[in-house]
Amino acid sequence: MPSYTYAVKAQRLLRARGYPCRIRRREKTSSKGCGFTVLINGSCDGAERLLTGYAVPYSVRGGGADDDKL
Amino acid sequence: MINFDNAATTFPKPLSVRRAAAEAIKSFGGNAGRGGHELAMRTSEALYSARETAAGFFGAAPENTVFTLNCTHALNMAIQGVMSEGGHIIISSMEHNSAARPAVALAMKKQVTLSVAEVFPDRERTLESFRRLIRSDTRAVVCTIASNVTGQLLPYKEIGQLCRENGICFIADGAQACGIYDIKLSDGINILCTAGHKGLYGITGTGLLLTDGQYPIKPIMQGGTGSNSLSLFQPSILPDSLESGTPNVIGAVTVGAGINFIGSYGMNRLRTHEEQLCRLFIEGLEGTDGITVYRDAAAEYAPIVSFNIDALGSEETAELLSERGFCLRAGYHCAALAHATLGTKGGTVRFAPSVFNTEEEVRKLVYNVKILKNLPNS
Repeated sequence: MPSYTYAVKAQRLLRARGYPCRIRRREKTSSKGCGFTVLINGSCDGAERLLTGYAVPYSVRGGGADDDKL
Repeated sequence: MINFDNAATTFPKPLSVRRAAAEAIKSFGGNAGRGGHELAMRTSEALYSARETAAGFFGAAPENTVFTLNCTHALNMAIQGVMSEGGHIIISSMEHNSAARPAVALAMKKQVTLSVAEVFPDRERTLESFRRLIRSDTRAVVCTIASNVTGQLLPYKEIGQLCRENGICFIADGAQACGIYDIKLSDGINILCTAGHKGLYGITGTGLLLTDGQYPIKPIMQGGTGSNSLSLFQPSILPDSLESGTPNVIGAVTVGAGINFIGSYGMNRLRTHEEQLCRLFIEGLEGTDGITVYRDAAAEYAPIVSFNIDALGSEETAELLSERGFCLRAGYHCAALAHATLGTKGGTVRFAPSVFNTEEEVRKLVYNVKILKNLPNS
């Protein structure tokens, strides 16, 4: 997420639709430097559609074993 | 002390706002949007909640809702940001200096050309003033929704429609209208600028710029935003592009609390109360020789009344009223154009009640204005 504003917007949209997620600060969310990551437990498929629908800018990054990151 | 200077800043603030300020000082001491630790995240969450509340109130997206220092700051950002590539700008003849000065400054630098649309009591004539000034290179129209001097309401929805038909950015100054009228971006406003410390009942040092995103606003200030930190260029995303530096979280939280106060009290109820106080004030002075009230039957007004005791200067009147425990603003109200339009060479005294004033307080004021009017030197 490019900023905290979008991260919280995404988090609230996702939580309202049953996606357990949390926000974490990251030093490199893109080549431009620090920003915020929304960590989702489980699949991001529906989440991506949701965020696209609400014009929330995001990029998907590889997560851990059970995590997807937006 | 009785405060009738609420058009400058509302006082007192609602209990819920004072409590929100205290809670913000106690709990939201981090730097919003910067750190990832608990304190920073909690503070960021509080700022977002306030942003979301303000966005919902004006029909904007949260990310297009920018916290500013005050309405002047918001208007400067909007005017300078939209007109950064030049063009023609139109402002009304009732503008506050917060809109007039940045427009004039750009015109003096030859960066833009400037026209002033004359405002009349009649809405149609005012609208025609704007219509006549539109040119092929007109980029923006700036118009107050309600005059800070007389409270006169301008036909902002019609002006918005005119702008939309001509592909012009409509920047509205809502400083005296927001919190009293249900102002939405969908009224035809592209960029709404307002104060947080007036009708929204937040603390001083707060303002808002809300945009529909249709007209890019070039930042007038660059700096740290907590995002894209490796880039030496200002981020293009809102609100970051227009919110450099540590935000006034405590102020933003009070604006959110103030908006919630308006919601729970009821905006119509609030406005009706203030209008009733204005009516009482005007009726109390009606028929009194030597007092001028600046209202025209053809115009509509927000709950503000400008008046003068003819034999006294406006500042002298305010000073004498202050000695009697009343706070009213006199002089020119930072509105050179408006006073020129009204022809009030000595300024006026402004009566501006809030939801916390009472009819009894207004009766006391009327009584004291009449006493002043009858003083031997008046």
